[in-house]
Amino acid sequence: MSVAPISAVLTSSVTPTAYISSASPAGAAAAGATDGAFASTLASSVDGLQAMQAKTSDLAVKAVTGNLADVHDYTISATESAVAMELTATVRNRAVEAFNEIMRMQA
Amino acid sequence: MGTFAAIGIAGSALGTYRKWLDAVSDNLANLNTVRATDETAFQARYIVAQANDAQGGDSGGVHVAAAAYGSAEGRIVYEPNHPLADAEGNVRYPDIDMASQMTQLIMAQRGYQANASVVDRAREMYTTALQIGRS
Repeated sequence: MSVAPISAVLTSSVTPTAYISSASPAGAAAAGATDGAFASTLASSVDGLQAMQAKTSDLAVKAVTGNLADVHDYTISATESAVAMELTATVRNRAVEAFNEIMRMQA
Repeated sequence: MGTFAAIGIAGSALGTYRKWLDAVSDNLANLNTVRATDETAFQARYIVAQANDAQGGDSGGVHVAAAAYGSAEGRIVYEPNHPLADAEGNVRYPDIDMASQMTQLIMAQRGYQANASVVDRAREMYTTALQIGRS
């Protein structure tokens, strides 16, 4: 399973809010984003998730071909990528929720 | 320590306990491996666990630093009918105590189970965190 990165669409069309770019160096640095925009932070988090899932499927292949040294390596990796997937989905859902909230505002 | 530090730490412990289980398994398998008295006895295998932070750092977790080996002397047993017996009728058995190995087997199993439940609890906790503010 592979997830296509979404950075190309978002970084150009979304301008960062001022307080996020100045106030979130910790989260942005951890996620590997440089400009602090939410879009690129989310994109790099999706990249991280993709790497995690690639590792899991690599271990799954090792398991079925009999090259897996430790059974728990696979199950732990699968658990980690499931939780990371859920985390990324939650962040994305909250962002969309906030966006919809703004769109519902009366002029 | 990263987002899933608890899971990674428990994972390293699972690996260590698995290697302990392997060592115990080898010792039990060779419990009755007889050698002639002019050879060294089968040496029991033990693992040396070491904290990952022993040389500094804050990653947490544990790893197997080395394998240690038991007595090469073994036990001299009088078995004159044994094909490997020497002129005095002695053979060399490994110096492994079965009761001790069985105890270690239980310890390795329980340690593995404890760390497996750490992984499960950590997952539950992260899932709880994701539920915050959902409803």
